[in-house]
Amino acid sequence: MAPHHAHITVLPLDLLIYIIDRVPEPADRKSIRLVSRAFHRAECLQRRDLNVIRREALGMLIRCYGAIESLDLSACAGLDDACLSTALGGGAAPGLRKVNLSRASGVRWSGLAAMVRGCPRIESVDLSHCVGVGDREVAVLAMLAGLKELRLDKCLGVSDVGLAKVAVGCPGLEKLRIKWCLEISDLGIKLLANKCQNLKFLDISYLLVTNKSLHSISTLGRLEVLKMVGCYYITDDGLNYLKNEKNCNTLLSVDVSRCHNVSAFGLVSIIEGHKSLRKLKASDCYVDLPLNCLSKLGMLTNGFHTLKVDGSEVSEPRLKIIGANCKGLTKIGLGKCKGVTDENISELVSNCADLKTIDLTCCHDVTDDSLIAIANSCKKLESLLLESCSLITDEGLVYIGTCCPNLQEVDLTDCDLDDSALESLSRCSELMKLKLGLCPSITDDGLDYIAKCEKLQELDLYRCTGIGDDGLAALAYGCKKIRKLNLCYCTRISDQGMKYVSCLPELKDLELRGLTQVTSLGIVAIAFGCKNLTELDLKRCSAVDDLGFLGLARYAINLRQINISYCNISEQVLIRLLWNLRCLQDVKLVHLTHVRKEGFMLALRSCLDKLKKLKLPTILKDAISPALIQILQDKGCRIRWVDKPIPFYMKDSPPSSPDP
Amino acid sequence: MKGRVFVPFCCLEFMTKIHQVQEVVRSMIGREGSQFAAQQQLVTADLTSIIIQLISTAGTLLPSFKNSSLPNNNGSLIGSDIPSSDSTKASEYEELIKGLSSAGDEGDDLMKYVNACGGEGADSVLAEDDAVDGDNLPPGSYEVLQLEKEEILAPHTHFCLICGKGFKRDANLRMHMRGHGDEYKTPAALAKPSKEISSEPVPIKRYSCPFNGCKRNKEHKKFQPLKTILCVKNHYKRSHCDKSYTCSRCNRKKFSVIADLKTHEKHCGRDKWLCSCGTTFSRKDKLFGHVALFQGHTPALPPVDDTKVSVVLDQVQNNDLMNGGSIGFNFGSASDDVGLLDIKGDDDDRGFFSPMNFDSCNFGSLDDFSRPSFEVPESSFSILPGSYNYVNRNGS
Repeated sequence: MAPHHAHITVLPLDLLIYIIDRVPEPADRKSIRLVSRAFHRAECLQRRDLNVIRREALGMLIRCYGAIESLDLSACAGLDDACLSTALGGGAAPGLRKVNLSRASGVRWSGLAAMVRGCPRIESVDLSHCVGVGDREVAVLAMLAGLKELRLDKCLGVSDVGLAKVAVGCPGLEKLRIKWCLEISDLGIKLLANKCQNLKFLDISYLLVTNKSLHSISTLGRLEVLKMVGCYYITDDGLNYLKNEKNCNTLLSVDVSRCHNVSAFGLVSIIEGHKSLRKLKASDCYVDLPLNCLSKLGMLTNGFHTLKVDGSEVSEPRLKIIGANCKGLTKIGLGKCKGVTDENISELVSNCADLKTIDLTCCHDVTDDSLIAIANSCKKLESLLLESCSLITDEGLVYIGTCCPNLQEVDLTDCDLDDSALESLSRCSELMKLKLGLCPSITDDGLDYIAKCEKLQELDLYRCTGIGDDGLAALAYGCKKIRKLNLCYCTRISDQGMKYVSCLPELKDLELRGLTQVTSLGIVAIAFGCKNLTELDLKRCSAVDDLGFLGLARYAINLRQINISYCNISEQVLIRLLWNLRCLQDVKLVHLTHVRKEGFMLALRSCLDKLKKLKLPTILKDAISPALIQILQDKGCRIRWVDKPIPFYMKDSPPSSPDP
Repeated sequence: MKGRVFVPFCCLEFMTKIHQVQEVVRSMIGREGSQFAAQQQLVTADLTSIIIQLISTAGTLLPSFKNSSLPNNNGSLIGSDIPSSDSTKASEYEELIKGLSSAGDEGDDLMKYVNACGGEGADSVLAEDDAVDGDNLPPGSYEVLQLEKEEILAPHTHFCLICGKGFKRDANLRMHMRGHGDEYKTPAALAKPSKEISSEPVPIKRYSCPFNGCKRNKEHKKFQPLKTILCVKNHYKRSHCDKSYTCSRCNRKKFSVIADLKTHEKHCGRDKWLCSCGTTFSRKDKLFGHVALFQGHTPALPPVDDTKVSVVLDQVQNNDLMNGGSIGFNFGSASDDVGLLDIKGDDDDRGFFSPMNFDSCNFGSLDDFSRPSFEVPESSFSILPGSYNYVNRNGS
């Protein structure tokens, strides 16, 4: 060690930990870790949360970071029982409180059982979207007596029996999500309500439960959040139970979106029963909101801040009544509502000066007058969604740009705006998310304006055919924070543009569909420049050839999702690509005309234990060996077969026929 | 309840039917001179229908008739449960028709039959539950018999006096006796013995359980007698014997009476709702009600199938196999991946694309590749973004 570094090496471990405590950025932490063994040791002891991406490293990482409290394995490719039990079964992370196993479809009960044995203090488990999980897995989790939070969204195998196991085993449960667990019925909910009296958060969206369940739920004295999106069998009578029970008046948030059998009377029951309500969501219920229902909103306390009534009828005095009764409103959702006019909007916003989020998606009658009214009243505005409001122009957006300095998110998809509108928006220095899809009038000059928004993280330029490489140069120069960029079908963009994009260091998600001028050189530049790239869509990039994919295979090592459908990739390169990208989880391989079935099989075998999602053309269904498909599925990979004809321009180069 | 309204009504019906028969017969006698075939048919049809109605009415009368004819009845027709099940009813009717056709003392014949059908011959009709007492006879109105334990548990109750062979049924013994000589083949010897003593009024018999302290024991304060010998046998086995018959399906439930086991086996497996305490339920809501009631009880999961476990094991083996295989399947330096910190994320020193060594690659059971059809180029190609040397060998 060089002498001028000596003073760092003598720092004791506790001081180092104290220092590392104050370093939040992952990149900085990485630099710290690489300083010396002592620094590495300190970082190991200090770290509380860990996100593991590669299965092979899991065991070693857990041994290294024994003090972790939160473990995220949702992106860990190919995670299976054996791996989980060797990593966590031995008690290497005794202090673990929170485990995220979302989409870890290879994990079954034996792995979970080992985890429960090794980490008995786990309080929060996320098993959402593990479609194979059933009662046995949940029964294992029920052995965690201290469990407080459990997410089981779309665990299709979980039935009332599994729910009963949790209800009995984890009496201290506070948060439970059982969205899409279609096997669960009223009986299970009844038992849950009987045993878990501490529940504060319950999501029963899309369950086939009836009003009986709401009757049981109404006995939960501490429930604060109740979500029941798309519960078709729940009616006004059920919501009336929530009102009648004296026990349950603590609800803060209720979501009855897509409950088609709920009418305004049900909403009135909720409002009357829960004066301290803060959020009410009733999107897509197709209810006609009668005036007396809306005037009941005045009974709520000032804390009421979110109202979402997408798809409802809100003609003449309704928005005015909402405005008059809910002065503290900060979020309002009026997407696809009928009867939204400029007068209505101005009456609403004149009363609600605190509005931060306004959703006017598909309110086709909204014009610049509404924007002027919003700009004049809502100085705190943060999010404005105006998709398909085709009557608005740059004149209205000027007001928004000058009066709403806090604006963070704007959706102008399909509004057919031009560069002058973007000039107005460029004054919003806080802008983080901007959607400009389907605005072909926008040119490179417009992107010059956007480049002034330095905090921009997400930009959608889907089918903005007016933009070219120069615009991307401006973006790359100004918006260094961009993480997500959609350039699909912006056909004027070429390799030069890709070179500019490759200068975006934080880019994670890049969509380049149908960019026919981009060649391998551009792709290699992206792969080399954007080290954090995790998602890449190259569908129909017909000019990209093997060189580009080899570049990806070599440099884009953090890539997790890739779409190379309709691309010109050869067999060997496909195998190499799938083998080399070790974080790869989601692959779309439709219509690769240069790859024979043997190539597909070899390629799939090379990435057998990491894939979670796979999209293949139906033609291959019979060609690929059933044993291979079985192994893929056993390892938790979901295969989607698409049946689309090969486009005519690809037919002149037919796949080389397999030799007999 | 039923009987009180029903009996007089039936009697009335009986009377009217008999009057109808009389009328028909009278009209037949009147027309004796001028007989027409058509008329005769009509009359015959009339008669037949009336007779059928008569029989059925008499059949329904039967149970109440029996009760009302018992001595010291106290007029209670209420508890008149039909002692035998439906299957015996058919034979009752047959017997009744015989009784009606043979001109004699109808009431006595019926009584004979009723008494006879109680005890024996009902072996096949698994005597309901021993709790079913039928009538509540006042104490003293019947004779109490008590069989000894050995007698109850004896497999056979009828023994051949000549060779000593035992039988469960008297009828079988009589069949057996035929082999011991012609004297046992006479109709008298083969007839039911009970018919011989039918003329005398039979005293009512009730049975006591030999087990001291049992409620069915005659010394018990609230003694409840058992009705038939079969009841005694079943009661004694169920209450005071070991349960030696185990259900072959669930291997859990045990019974001391074979018939009970058979009844259980019919339903065993249908009680799929099992609680952790071992109680089974045929309905899910009953199980959940039970679980809600008791602290710590949970619904039990079905045991893991052996097949499933073996599949899991297979998978694990496959996994090892594949991992082992991937070492032979050397695309690059595979071993350098293991143990690397992922967070580093920028180690670019990945290996070159080495030729795939198929001969060392063991796919085990998955070796369904058509290897000859896929030729891998021998030459490894090195790829750097600057130098694009890759030659597509696909066509070769």
